Amino acid sequence: MMAALADPIEFEIFKNLFLSIAEEMGITLCRTGFSPNIKERLDYSCAIYDERGEAIAQGDHMPVHLGAMPLSVQAAIEHVAMEPGDVVILNDPFRGGTHLPDITLVQPIFVGDESAPSFYVANRAHHSDVGGMSPGSMPLAQEVFQEGLILPPIKLVRRGETCQDIMALILANVRTPIEREGDLSAQIAANRVGEARLRAVVARYGLERVRHYARAVQDYAERIMRDTISRIPDGAYSFDDVMDDDGFSRERIGIRAMVRIAGDTAEVDFAGTELQTDGGVNANFAITLAASIYCFRCLVQEDVLYNSGISRAVRVLAPLGTIVNARHPAAVAGGNVETSQRITDVVLGALAKALPEVIPAASQGTMNNVTLGGVRADGSAFAYYETMGGGMGGRNGLAGLSGLHTHMSNTRNTPIEAIEHYLPLRIRSYALREGSGGAGEYPGGEGMRREYEMLTDTSVTLLSERRTGHPYGVQGGGAGGCGVNTVLRVDGSVEAVSAKARLQLRRGDRLRIESPGGGGYGAGRTEG
Amino acid sequence: MIRLGVDTGGTFTDLVRLDARGLSVAKVRSTPDDPARAILAGIAELMGADTVGEVVHGSTVATNAVLERRGARVALVTTKGFEDVLAIGRQTRRELYNFMVRANRPMIEPGLTFGMTERLDQHGVVLEPVQVEELDALTEKLRAVSAECVAVCLLHSYANPVHEREVEAHLVRAGFTVSSSHRVLPEYREYERWSTTVVNAYVTPMMSRYLTALEDGLQGTKLRVMQSNGGSISAGEARRTAVRTILSGPAAGAVGAQAVARASGFERVILFDMGGTSTDVSLVDGQLGTTNESTVGDFPVRLPVLDIHTVGAGGGSIAYVDRGGALRVGPRSAGADPGPVCYGTGEELTVTDANLLLGRMEAEHFLGGRMALDMARTVERAEAFAKKLQIGVMRLAEGIVQVANANMERAIRAVSVQRGHDPRRFALLAFGGAGGMHACEIADTLEIGTVLVPEHAGVLSALGMLLADVRKDYTQTILKASDGLSFEVLEGYMAPLVARAEADISAEGFEAKDVVIECLLEMRYRGQAYEIQVPLTPTYVDDFHREHQRLYGHSNLSRVTEVVNVRVNAAGITRKYEFPLAEAVSRSLPEPVSAREAWFGDRFWETAVFHREQLMPGMEGIGPAIVSGGEATVVVPPNFRFRIDGVGTLVASRIER
Repeated sequence: MMAALADPIEFEIFKNLFLSIAEEMGITLCRTGFSPNIKERLDYSCAIYDERGEAIAQGDHMPVHLGAMPLSVQAAIEHVAMEPGDVVILNDPFRGGTHLPDITLVQPIFVGDESAPSFYVANRAHHSDVGGMSPGSMPLAQEVFQEGLILPPIKLVRRGETCQDIMALILANVRTPIEREGDLSAQIAANRVGEARLRAVVARYGLERVRHYARAVQDYAERIMRDTISRIPDGAYSFDDVMDDDGFSRERIGIRAMVRIAGDTAEVDFAGTELQTDGGVNANFAITLAASIYCFRCLVQEDVLYNSGISRAVRVLAPLGTIVNARHPAAVAGGNVETSQRITDVVLGALAKALPEVIPAASQGTMNNVTLGGVRADGSAFAYYETMGGGMGGRNGLAGLSGLHTHMSNTRNTPIEAIEHYLPLRIRSYALREGSGGAGEYPGGEGMRREYEMLTDTSVTLLSERRTGHPYGVQGGGAGGCGVNTVLRVDGSVEAVSAKARLQLRRGDRLRIESPGGGGYGAGRTEG
Repeated sequence: MIRLGVDTGGTFTDLVRLDARGLSVAKVRSTPDDPARAILAGIAELMGADTVGEVVHGSTVATNAVLERRGARVALVTTKGFEDVLAIGRQTRRELYNFMVRANRPMIEPGLTFGMTERLDQHGVVLEPVQVEELDALTEKLRAVSAECVAVCLLHSYANPVHEREVEAHLVRAGFTVSSSHRVLPEYREYERWSTTVVNAYVTPMMSRYLTALEDGLQGTKLRVMQSNGGSISAGEARRTAVRTILSGPAAGAVGAQAVARASGFERVILFDMGGTSTDVSLVDGQLGTTNESTVGDFPVRLPVLDIHTVGAGGGSIAYVDRGGALRVGPRSAGADPGPVCYGTGEELTVTDANLLLGRMEAEHFLGGRMALDMARTVERAEAFAKKLQIGVMRLAEGIVQVANANMERAIRAVSVQRGHDPRRFALLAFGGAGGMHACEIADTLEIGTVLVPEHAGVLSALGMLLADVRKDYTQTILKASDGLSFEVLEGYMAPLVARAEADISAEGFEAKDVVIECLLEMRYRGQAYEIQVPLTPTYVDDFHREHQRLYGHSNLSRVTEVVNVRVNAAGITRKYEFPLAEAVSRSLPEPVSAREAWFGDRFWETAVFHREQLMPGMEGIGPAIVSGGEATVVVPPNFRFRIDGVGTLVASRIER
C-alpha cells in the first residue's frame, strides 16, 4: 500500500463530491441536448478544473476527451481575460480544440473577492454540423478552413448575457442553426449546474479546504497511475501500424510508438511516425495525448477518479508536423475519430510486448463515420452523422465482444425507428457480420452491417479505416476481417467504395457499411 | 371484507392486516417448494376465526427468473434483416476502461431468432406484406426448437400493429404462448420495445405456473398481484404481462412507506431503505414518481416503475483502503455470509462494525437479543486497520460511517436535486435494517429537518401491497409536433386508451366513482431524445416549457415542441383503513433500559438506550439516544430531539443551532 493521505476519510468524501458535480453537469447536457450525438449517442464530456486549468474530476463520458479537455481550458485561460459570468467557446483544433464539431464551453468561477478564477467548469459536445464543405462537418478536406466554422477561444456569454452577435455569427455559418442554438443552450446550462454545485461546496467547506482536496485528488490519481506503471516491466517497447489512406493521395500512412517504462514513469514517443497529410486524418497533440493516456488508464483495473493527475506520470512526445501532431492549417476531422483509434492500437501493441497476458488483440480500429445530408422533398435541409461499432479484439480468457464501440468511442446507435421518422432514409438491415472476427483461442468479436436506402437524393461522406489493413491478432491469434463499403445503385449496379469517399446517391440507391471484426487472442485450436 | 398484504421473500413471508384495531403483522418462514403453505400458515396466525376476502401478493418469482436466467425458452420472431437488434443493443460497452468488460447475457439462445419478410414505414404504411406461406414454415420451425413462449417484435408496430397481430393470431392458433411488442409497449425505439417484450415472454410461463399453484393453494380466496408501478392487478392480468411485476418488492415498500409518512402528516418525503448490501432511495412529492427507464438484469424494461434509485452500499459494505490511499466503503459486501467482523465470522470491517465501535449498537441486544456481537474481535481488527492509516480507532469508525453516508447522500441527490427538487423541503423516512442508524446524520448534512422511522419498518412492503390501488397504464407513440395539435385532437388520441382503461378497471371490480383516470403527454422540444410528462390540459405547451425550466434551468418559448407519447394511467381506488391520528397526548419518557457511551462528532456522549416497545405515542426526548427494536436500531444524535407520534412513528427533528 502507498503512503496514507492526511485524512483519507474527508478525502473520499470530497472525491465523491467532485465526481458528482461532473456527473450532474452531464445529466443536464444529455437530457436537454438536441444533436443526436449528444442526446442519443452521449458524445460529450463534463469536468471541473482548478485555477491552473488542471482537471479535478471528469465524468466517465468519452475516452477521446480524456486528457485533451484541460488543453481547452488552458487555451481559454491563455487567450481570454475572463470575468465573472463569462463563458468562453472554442473548437479551434490548434488552440485547445480537437476537431471542429467538438465545441467546448469554458466558464470561470470566481469565489468571493478573489481577482482570478478559483475554478473552471467546462463541457464538450459533438455538434452534428458546424458548417464547412459537407453536411455533418466531417468532410474529406485538405485544410481545416474547409471543415467548418473555426471558433478560437472567444466569449459567447459576457457577464451573464449571451453575446447575440457572436451567436448570430455562429448560427449563420451552420446548416442546422435551430439545433445548434439548442445544443449551445444546453451546454451553457450544464456549466451553470456545475457552477452552482461547486459554489455550494465552497460555501460549506471554505475555499482553502476545497482547494486542498482538489490538489489531493489529483495527487491521488497520479499515485494510482504511478503504482500501475511500476508494475510494468522496465524497458522500451515499440510497435507500428498504418492508417489505410488519407482519402486523397497517400496510402498506408505509418504510426510508430516507442513506449519506455522506467520505474513509475512512462514515456510514449511517436518518433518515426509519418508526416502529416493533405487529407483529414491528421491528429493534433490533444488527441494523441488522449489516446495514449486512455491505454494507461485501462491498465488501472479499478474505479478511480479521472483527472489531470493521471497525465503526470505519462509523458507523450509527438514530433510536430506528423499525423500525430499536425501543424496548422491541416485538416483534422478524422484525427479525433480515426487516427485516435490507430494511436490506441499502436500504443497497446507496444504494451503487449511488456504485458502479453493483459493486452487484448486489436479491436475494429475505426468508428465508421457516416455523414449524410441533402434537401427533403418539402425543401427543408437535413444533416445527419453517425458512427458504427464493430468487433472487439479477443482478450486473454474471453472472446472479443461483437457489434459495439471500442477504445476511443462509446457512443450509442440511433434507433432505426427514430432515423426513419426524422430523416429521408430507410434502414434495410442491421446485423452482425458473421465470420469477420479473427480466429484464435479467444476469437475477435464480429463487425456489423448496416444498409441505408436513400429516399431522396443525398450526399454522403464516408470516413472509415481498416478497409485494407487488418486489425491485428496477438499471441498467435488471427487478424480481424477488414471493413467493406459498398453502394448498390437503384439500377442494380454494385460499386465498391474506398475507406474515405464522397458520394452523390440518388433516390433508391443503397449504401452498405460493413465494419471490421476484432483480432484474435492466442493461437486457435485446430479444427478437428 | 378483510384484505391481507402478503410479501413472499426468499427467507420470510410477511403478512399484514389493517383494520379498526390498527396494524397486525405475521412473519412466517417461506416455503419455496409451495409458497401457498407459508401464506396459509400466516393467514391462520393472523386471522384466527375471521375469513380473509382478498390477498394482495408480491413475490420475487419474476425478478429471480431474470437475474438467475431461469426463465422460459423464448423464440424471437422479427423483421427480416433485423435479427441482431437485441444482440447489438445500443452498441456500447458497459465499462469504458476495462479490457475484460463482459457481455450482456442474452435471453434468447442461439438458433431461436427467426426473421420474416414484412415491413412497415414510420407511419405504419405497409411496404411489404406478411407472406402467409412463411407463417406455416415458421410454426414448424418454432415447434422444432421447442419454443416455450414466442416474442413477436416487428419494426414500427407501435404505429400499426397489423403485422404483429397477423403473426400472433397464426401462432396462437398453432398453440403457442405469444408476447407481441405492440401489446407490451406500443412505443417507438425498437431495441427498448423489443427488449421489454422479450423479458415479458421470458418470465410469463414461470409466473403463470406460480400463480396457478398459488390460486389452487388459496382455495378460492381472491388473489391480486403487486406490480412495479406501485399498483396491484388481478392474477389473470399479471399472467399476461408478468414483466410488470418484476420490481414489485421495492415498489410495494415505497407505497407502504408513503402511506405511513402521510399518516404522520408528511406529504413530501424522501424514502430511504438501507439494507445489508444495497440501499433504495425514492422521492414522494405528494405522490410517488415513476420512470420508464428501468433495467432488469442487463436489459431495458421501458414500462412505468416507481422511480427508485438503488446503490450497492449498505450495512454490510466492506471498508478498505485503495491503492491511492483513500478510504473506500463498498460496493463489495460481506452479506450474511461471512457477514461483518462482529458476527464472529467475517474478516473485513463493515459499516455495521463501525456502528458497533461507535457505541451505536448494543452488542448484547442485537436483533432483540437473538444474536450476540463480538466486540473484542471487532476492536482487534479495527486497531490493525487504523494503524495502517495512522489514525485512531474511533476516527476510523466514524470515517467509515461518514464515507458510507456520503454514498447515501449522492443517491438522495440523484432522486431530488437531479430531478429538480430541493431536499431541504422534504422529510427523510428511514427503513430497512440500517436506515435508522444513519438517517439523522445524513439528514443533517443535507439540511433535512425531520427524520421519520416507522414502527413496523420491517413489513412496509407487505403493507404497501395491502394499501396499493389497482393500477393500469396505457401508452401510444404519436410523434406529432404540438404546433396545431389542439387539445381536442389530443383527446381524440387519448379516447381509445381511456375506453380500454375504463373497461379494464371495471373488469377488476371497481365502480365508476372509485376510478381515477389521468391523461398525460410525454413531450420534448423537437430534436431532443428525452421526454417530460405533463398533464393533458389546453395549456399543455406552456406547462411543458415551465417543467423544462424547473428540471433543467432553461427553456425556450419559441422552440417547436412535440408530443412523443400519449399516456393514460388508471387507478381503481381500494378501500383504505385509517391509521390512528398523528397527534398524541404528551407523556414522559420511561426510564432508559441502560445508558452507554456512544461517539458523536469528536467525543463520547452518555447516551440513553430505549427499547422500541417501551416508547408509547406522545413520548418525547432529546438526543443522544439509541432506540433498539426487534428489526432495527434508531440512532438519535445529540443535535436532534425525538418523539413518538400517534401512528407510532418515531419523529426526530434537527435542533437548529
